[in-house]
Amino acid sequence: MSTDARRDAFRARLRVALTRPRDVAALAVFRMAFGAIVTISAVRFAAYGWIDQCFVTPRVHFSYWGFGWLPLPSPLVTYVLFALLGVLGLLVAIGLFFRPAVAALFLLFTYLQLIDVSNYLNHYYLVSLLAGLLFFIPAHRAWSLDARFRPHIRSDVAPAWCTYLLRFQVAVVYVNAGLAKATTDWLLNAQPLNIWLSARTSLPVVGPYLDLPAVAYVASWSGFLFDTSIAFFLLWRRTRPVAYLAVIGFHAATHFLFPAIGMFPVIMIVAALVFFDSSWPRRAVERGRRILGVATAAVSPPPVGVSGFSSRWAGFGIGAAVLFMTFQALWPLRAHLYGGNVLWHEQGMRFSWRVMAREKNGSVTFVVRDPKNGREWHVSPTKYLTRVQEREMVGQPDLILQLAHHIARDFAAHGHPGVEVHADARASLNGRPAAILVDPRADLAREADGLGGKRWIHPAPAGPPPLLRPVGSRTL
Amino acid sequence: MSSRPLSALLPVLAFACLLGCKGGGVGGAGGNAGTTGAGGNVTEDGAVTLSRADLLAAFGTCAAAGAHDFREAAVALETAVAAWGTAADDATRAAARDAFRTAMDRWQVMEMMQFGPTAPGTAFGAQDFRDNIYSWPRVSRCLVEEEIVARTYESPQFSTVLLTNKRGLGALEYLLFYEGSDTACGSTSTAVAGWMALSASEKDARKRAYAVAAAHDVAVRAVGLDAAWDPAAGNFVQTMRTAGTGNPVYPSTQDALNAVSNAIFYIETEVKDMKLAKPLGLDMMACPNEICPELRESLFAGRSKANLVANADGLRRLVAGCGPDYSGLAFDDLLEAVGDGAQAEALRTRAAAIRPTIDAIEEADLDQALIQDKPSVRAVYDAMKGVTDIIKVDFATVLDLELPEGVFGDVD
Repeated sequence: MSTDARRDAFRARLRVALTRPRDVAALAVFRMAFGAIVTISAVRFAAYGWIDQCFVTPRVHFSYWGFGWLPLPSPLVTYVLFALLGVLGLLVAIGLFFRPAVAALFLLFTYLQLIDVSNYLNHYYLVSLLAGLLFFIPAHRAWSLDARFRPHIRSDVAPAWCTYLLRFQVAVVYVNAGLAKATTDWLLNAQPLNIWLSARTSLPVVGPYLDLPAVAYVASWSGFLFDTSIAFFLLWRRTRPVAYLAVIGFHAATHFLFPAIGMFPVIMIVAALVFFDSSWPRRAVERGRRILGVATAAVSPPPVGVSGFSSRWAGFGIGAAVLFMTFQALWPLRAHLYGGNVLWHEQGMRFSWRVMAREKNGSVTFVVRDPKNGREWHVSPTKYLTRVQEREMVGQPDLILQLAHHIARDFAAHGHPGVEVHADARASLNGRPAAILVDPRADLAREADGLGGKRWIHPAPAGPPPLLRPVGSRTL
Repeated sequence: MSSRPLSALLPVLAFACLLGCKGGGVGGAGGNAGTTGAGGNVTEDGAVTLSRADLLAAFGTCAAAGAHDFREAAVALETAVAAWGTAADDATRAAARDAFRTAMDRWQVMEMMQFGPTAPGTAFGAQDFRDNIYSWPRVSRCLVEEEIVARTYESPQFSTVLLTNKRGLGALEYLLFYEGSDTACGSTSTAVAGWMALSASEKDARKRAYAVAAAHDVAVRAVGLDAAWDPAAGNFVQTMRTAGTGNPVYPSTQDALNAVSNAIFYIETEVKDMKLAKPLGLDMMACPNEICPELRESLFAGRSKANLVANADGLRRLVAGCGPDYSGLAFDDLLEAVGDGAQAEALRTRAAAIRPTIDAIEEADLDQALIQDKPSVRAVYDAMKGVTDIIKVDFATVLDLELPEGVFGDVD
């Protein structure tokens, strides 16, 4: 067989495998859960006052590089957008106007995240990606109001690539979260878990045990091994049930120990369902009915294994999917191009799934000098930022740069054009003594932002982080 | 199913192991072979041990002592001001002013201890005493003068009719120390005409009456604050000692520690950035000139420098200890106990270094010092920054503390 023939045969087999019809039930359940999560998240934001605190109160917003042109919504519009987000989540969950709803959800959720970098969270990024992927996935062909009201779209099957794409995305999160922990800080020095667990000795049940020296090491290695391997164990049918129990246990533990990670455990527990067989919801329903004694006809899965979906768009779709997957596989690794410690310089940190990878605090005072008269001012970030924005900014040099530019513009507007803006910025990473983060000699007002390496960031402090002795809560 | 994924079982195994290990008695505090100079116990291997409960109780005891001291001073102030109100002469005025200075000195120590009942706003356990006793920087001479014209201070509902920026120690400072008969109100104030119509003696009489009412209100608040901390009454010390599961105020010891560390940030936001940076001209928005003495804290009593001394004292009580010569349990002991002795020493040293810089200011107060020796005031600012740099970076990291107002939203 010639090379061309072998290539054609491979393409044909790949196409058959990717377009093979599979039960749509799992995708429909995923759609429902995803929509519900988005709605709950929107309600949480409103209920906890986070719309005000994250979007309305800040007077300065940090923009993503290349997205500074995005218009900022007024407070009223922000509230309306969150209400709309909640409604869109609901529409996705019930499968009504699914395609336009999920497209609007993707655009709206992504827009809200792009408003301010200091609001960035890995799981928000994941929600955006999943919403974007769902737009291409016919998860509304069953168990949806669309399917009820528009019979012609009803189908019990969806092409296999839909499931593969979602599995890939979830696996990317886990594997990269694991790789991010393959550091000497995490594995050899048990940091930052040593710091975090040391502060939680008053937790019920487990708290008294957190002052054991070995706990942070066991937890660090458990987390590392879990993240790096769980996707593979979920993929393997024989280990899948136990692996999923581990997923639930792991994320429940993280929620218990670190409540501030909010919706992340729920999102990952739901997202990991994509690894199950595509008919699992039908079997679960049938089992439930059997347990409840509800006599109905068996809900048998649709036949699978028959090739289909040979539309002329299949090749184009597969190509696009491959491009997306390649990007998703490589993009988190870009931090390595910058060299040094990404947890320190933060270049390539975002969108790389470095979840709970570092404990970092900092202090920044901007020193503004007018070269014309030598006058000097000290500017505290609190003049411009909320405390939460400040907390994010002090450890992220690109945000320090953005605020420096803003300060220069503000001084110009107040009659001091052309000022120099220097940063007295110190940070502590994983418990190390504070070190200078930004070259204090650099005039940040004249440094450009961009994707290139930032020479004005000081190298990370050398040496291992300290291992702390946890302090118990009860009276000695 | 002959094989099980090891990683999937690891969290369960790890937890089971921990339970077993704890049973072996590995953990715990260890022996108490001695004590550190500051307050923690020292084990035979040299490690400092303490419990978070003991530390929190120490903070509570410190705040309770401060509240009690202030109560005594506030009651004395009430008495002295009442005497001045009854028989206005130089002697009674001087006595009232002395009582004010004592009360303010003690309150400025408490300014650093705004946790528990003393905390403002919606903080854990807050009973909103702080702004009712001293609402700086939200004090306004004009607003007080408007009330002098309106005689609102005569209302039996003094404390509810008047907002906090028209009473408390801030209003008292003006009423006791400002002897001019002019008004700070601009032409837009409806009180200007009424003020001009008052004779000098009438203004003085009204100021005295206002001061009596304000001093009484401060004393009532001081008694309430003292009671909130008092073991025989509110016993908030016990609330701090028992922080953790089941505690209605602090569900965890970390929440209680955060409350105390939030209080320490007064040294940055109020002391460094307001009391010092603004008069020093380091804040472009607040001060367009080289210096702005008019932005100092104590405009009438000339106590801006003394207030800094008291703030520095309060800071040292929290970071080094509340006992004699700053001994006893404090944050430095917690740092020692977790194994970061270097930072504990740095924190102690830098906190102690503030006072000498204040003492080095030769002028009576900051207004003259800013004009005659600005670098001496700048040195105090730098000393304060030396402490805040540690608190915001190393201290917050090692103890996993949250910055004030920094706890909302999800993370990661």
